Parts: sequence; structure tokens; C-alpha cells
Amino acid sequence: MEHLNLLLLLGAGLLFTGLLLGTLSTRIGIPSLLVFLVLGMLAGEDGVGGIAFQDFELGFLISNLALAVILLDGGLRTRLDAFRVGLRPALTLATLGVVLTAMFTGAFATWLLGVDWRLGLLLGGIVGSTDAAAVFNVLKSSGLRLNERVASTLEIESGLNDPMAIFITVLLIEILMYPEISWGPGVLLQLLQQFGIGALVGVLLGGLLAELMLRVRSNEGLHALLLCAGGATLFAITNLAGGSGFLAVYLAGLIAGNRRKGTSDNVLRAMDSMAWLAQSVMFLLLGLLVTPSDLVHSLLPGLAIALFLMLVARPAAVWLSLLPFAFNPSERTFISWTGLRGAVPIVLAVFPLLAGVEETMLLFNITFVVVLTSLLLQGSTVGWFARRLHVGLPPAAAPLNATAVEGADDRYLAQFVVEPGSRAEGKHLDEIIPGQARAVSLVRGRQLVEPEEDSVIRAGDHILWLCDHASQEQLGEWFLATTTALRRYYGDFTVRATVKVSDVALTYGLTDLPPELMHLTLDELFRNRRRGRPVVGDTVTLGQGLRLRVRALDNDHVSLVGIRLPKK
Amino acid sequence: MRIRELLAPDRTRYNLEGVSKKRLFDQVAQLASSSRPELDEQEVFDALVARERLGSTGIGEGIAIPHCRLPSCLQPVGLLIRLEEPIDFDSVDGRPVDLVFVLLVPESNPEHHLRTLSHLAALFNEPEYREALRQSNSTEALYRNAVDSETELQLTS
Repeated sequence: MEHLNLLLLLGAGLLFTGLLLGTLSTRIGIPSLLVFLVLGMLAGEDGVGGIAFQDFELGFLISNLALAVILLDGGLRTRLDAFRVGLRPALTLATLGVVLTAMFTGAFATWLLGVDWRLGLLLGGIVGSTDAAAVFNVLKSSGLRLNERVASTLEIESGLNDPMAIFITVLLIEILMYPEISWGPGVLLQLLQQFGIGALVGVLLGGLLAELMLRVRSNEGLHALLLCAGGATLFAITNLAGGSGFLAVYLAGLIAGNRRKGTSDNVLRAMDSMAWLAQSVMFLLLGLLVTPSDLVHSLLPGLAIALFLMLVARPAAVWLSLLPFAFNPSERTFISWTGLRGAVPIVLAVFPLLAGVEETMLLFNITFVVVLTSLLLQGSTVGWFARRLHVGLPPAAAPLNATAVEGADDRYLAQFVVEPGSRAEGKHLDEIIPGQARAVSLVRGRQLVEPEEDSVIRAGDHILWLCDHASQEQLGEWFLATTTALRRYYGDFTVRATVKVSDVALTYGLTDLPPELMHLTLDELFRNRRRGRPVVGDTVTLGQGLRLRVRALDNDHVSLVGIRLPKK
Repeated sequence: MRIRELLAPDRTRYNLEGVSKKRLFDQVAQLASSSRPELDEQEVFDALVARERLGSTGIGEGIAIPHCRLPSCLQPVGLLIRLEEPIDFDSVDGRPVDLVFVLLVPESNPEHHLRTLSHLAALFNEPEYREALRQSNSTEALYRNAVDSETELQLTS
């Protein structure tokens, strides 16, 4: 009995400490994953804890389950809207990008370590996919908003690229174990099977799961649990059927999340804690699993491979994959740098271990070093990079809470606090009219005040709005003290996007513009430059240093354009 | 180009009353052509309205900076108007406008004028400058506060 309680104390104590430190990590800008990993290592055989945990099978099982939950959560949070701008580039990155990254890294590792090329390539495949949770964790904590194109591309990429990396890993393990296996159509068929079955099961069972969730009436906590259990079931079914369970569970989350234009935020909040639990347990366990003293031997090659991956392989793969798409150089650079590696590579590194491939402890240890380096180096600089490369939008306030209105499509109750010095301070309520939003209540000094159209908004007021998702985003810009940031970002003047380039040229005396641009409207100008749907923050510089920047969109068309005049 | 080089007492108006956007431009055009005879009233009016058609020149915080290029304009001309009642200007922040600075520039040397316009926007974005103008209670005080401003000195230094 005492033994049991000791075990419990150990596990629970670790989790508690990890979570406590994890809440701090957002403040210091280190991914919380790293905190768990390091804590696990500290508790392990070489650390103060001295726990000798070497059960790779248990580690593998729990990691798979945790990954399924994390991907489900990621899918639930992805809006189908994001797919309109992000799907094609993300899909290219998730397939071609992963293959290229694996090939470059594999070639380098083969050369560096002097191992069989198949083993090198296996390492490339293992570290091939990026981690969404890590990226968004860091971005959120640095208070940055990315422009929609970059944000949705990164988001969807990290959801979709895990199946590809898993596929490459499994394939190479087979080649290593059974060298006589023939390349050729069989491989392609297997790829198609993994993705095809994964997508099919994900869409079908995901739809079923979503329908079920709509019919079941229960509290949110139970809903989240149901989703998780359902997701895990679906994950297992897909794997048994020979498809990619990871792809299936991500798609199922996506479908369930968008079934009624956004899952109720309460379910998402409950899901949040499930995802946290999954992540923390998995990383603690993976930290325990590794033997830090073994890592020492792999430190230098691991560092070299990590640096090559971050500085050469990923940038080259991103650059090549994104060639057909409309990203500007700083966006490409940013996407290259946000290739944070996380849980998936470590879990994948357990695959060959379980399959009995030789020299796999080396692979496992190197992968561990690569992930640590990436989390530490990229994780702590992503925010700084976003600012330097100007891919961030000016900050906007997030609502204190937002609840979907049951029975209505795309209607939320969102509560905002008015910051001193924000645009809203001192204005009448009716002066804030972003699209579909209506103030329903106003809390001032703990008192509920009836909101009148001419109520003057004061700093510190809590205002509850009934709004749709799009206006909720716009409302955010009103309540944060960012007027200066907004002006610096968009410029002093705004013009309608239905205006012709020639009108702007005439008004501001721009002479040296190419004549073919003159007859375009500003909306068309942005559309042409970007070869696709423009997003807020897209920029075009016309002659004489006059810079145009998309300020608002309406039904996929640019509606407002900010003009920044040249400074002296 | 500094405010004192643009503005003149006879192009400053304190508490212009009861106007709409259209009426405001009407009065601006009158004021401009009586102060600068080379400017044609109708031409000024049309050009200002044409610029407004592209999008509001209200820059927020109750400020508008209507501007346009004119063939007949010989040198940059500024007009400063304080409205008795704020008027709806369709500004970015939805706030009605009570302080208006109009900038009329010649067609030549556009780069130079863009910089002047940028300077004006920066100046009116300074809360102290706006406050000083809003507290002026006569045309003379408005003019004086507009041209002798510490804020502008700091901004240009």
C-alpha cells in the first residue's frame, strides 16, 4: 500500500510541479513543452529523481494516445475559413515540404554520422514534421497576431504533416528491416492507402461523431471527454484499417469543430485541459525515457543536425514548396523559422526502437537533442522574429470570455474590458458599430448598467457584446490602448478599395507607375500581386514611398486600404 | 513644411457653426479663394469632394485633414477650422470631427507635399497639440496655438 502511495506521490507531484512551471513558461517565453521535458529528465535516472524508467512500449502507447488528443484538439480549433487561404500551401508543405526536409536532413546526417543512407534518411523522416502546439503556444504568449495567410498555413501544416512524417518513418523502417522489399508502385500504393483511408475514416466517422455530439445533451466537461474517447476510438479503427490514424483524428476534430460554425467555446475550454494533460504527461514521460548521460555522446552531432535542419533543410524545403504561392520573402523566412519540432519526432524515434532496428538508441538520442535545440532556440525567438519581419498584425484585445449562442449560427456573447487610452474610451456605445455587433450589457464598478446608445464608455468598463465571429475580431481593436500601433501599422489615411489606382496616383501625384496598373481597382491590385485571396496586412508600395496596406475585408474582397505616407 | 509656413490668420476659423461635410467644403473653398485669389472656389470645392470620394480624410480622434492637388495652386496653402458642433465625417474610428486642417498643394513637386501631409498627420496625432487647439477660444488664439507649438518643435527636431 505504501509503495502504491509513493508511486502516486511521485507521479502526481511531477505533474503538479510541471503544470505549475508550465503556467509560468508563457511569461518567460519558453514553450511549456520544454519545461515538462526538462522536468522529466531531472526526475529521471541521471537527475535528482533517480527514477529509472525504460519502458519504451508504455511510453509509445501513451504518446500515441496523447498525440491523438492533441491533434483532435488542433482540428477542433481550426476554422474551415482558414482552409480557404491556407490549405493549398499547407498541403504542399505537409507533403513535398516534409519529403524535402527529410531528404536534405537525411543526406546531411548520413554524411555527418557516416551511417547507412537508409538510417540517415530515417532520421530525416523522424524529425521531418513540425509541432503546432509548440508554435501557437509561443505565439500566443508573446501577444502576437499573425496575418491570416501565415497563421492558417502554419496551423494547417502542422496538423497535416505528422501523417507524412509517420509514413516516411514507417516506410524506412520496413526498408531497413526487409531490405529485399521492392520500391516502385507498392510504396506509392501504401502512401495512397495511408492518406486515403485516413481521410475517408476521418471524414465519415468524424461526421458521425459531430452529429452525435450535437444530439447528446450533457455538460461541457463530459462533452470533451466524449470527444476524446470518440477520437481515440476513431484513431485506433483507422490504424487497424491500415490508414493514418493521425490524419483521421485531425480531420474528425476539424469536422466536429466546424459542424455548427465553431464548437461551443466551453467545450473547447474543457478540451483545452485534456490537451494540456495529454501534452504534459507525454513530455514528462519522454523526458523520463531518455537517459541524459547518453545524450552527451549525441550532443555534438545532434546540435549539428539541428542547426542544419533549422538553417538549411527547413528553409530550403519551405522556399521550394511555397514557390507557386503568394508569400513575400519575410513571410517565407518566418514560416521557415517556425518549424518547431515537438512531440512527434520523439514519438517517431521510438518506432524503430520497438521494431528492433539497429543503432536506434543513437537515433533516439539525436532526435532528442534536435527537439530540445529547436524548442529552445526557435521557441524563444519566434516572437522576436515575427516582430522583426513584420508578419504580425497590431495587437487586439482578446475577449475575457466568449460563448456561442445555442441555437443560432455564428453568434457569440463576448465580454471585453476597456483599457485606459483605448479607442473605445470616451466614445458612445453606438459609435462602435463593427458589422454584426450589439452591446447587451455594461458592467461598471461591479454594477450592471443598462447600455444605452449614448452611454459613454469609460476605462475599466466590462461590455458584453452579441456578435458574429468576424466582428468579434474587429471589436478586439477597440478596447486595447493601441491607437498609435494601429496608425503606425495601417497609416494615417484610408481609402475604399473600389477606388482605382489611377485615382490614388492623381491625388498624390504618383507619376512613375506602370500604365497597366492604372485601370485596376485597389482590390484588384492586391489580388494581382498576391495571386489569390488577400488578407489583412498585405502590402503594396506604389511610387514615392506611398505604402498601401489592406485594413479590412468584406466577403473575400478588400474593402478598406490604409495609406502610409513617406516619412521625412 | 511647418504649420507657420502654411497657415495665415485669415485662413483660420474658430467655431464655424452648423455645417455638414458639404457645407464645410463650401466654406473652405470660399475662404481659400478670398485669401488666395489665384484659387478658384469651384475648383477647390470639387477637388476636396473628389478626394473624399476615395475615402474619408478623417484620421480619428475628431481630426480631419482634407487635402488635394490643384493646378492653379502656386504654393502650399493650409486652412484651420474649429467646428462649433462636431460633424459626422465617416472617420476610421467613427468619431465625429471638430478640428479640420485643409491642405491645398500645387501639382509640382509631389514628394515634398506628401511629406508635408505626413508631418500634419503626425502633428495632429499628438494629444497635446489637439488639446491646445481645442482649448483656444478665439480665432486669434487658435492661430497662435497652431503656429507656436512646442509639440511641433519637438516633432521636427
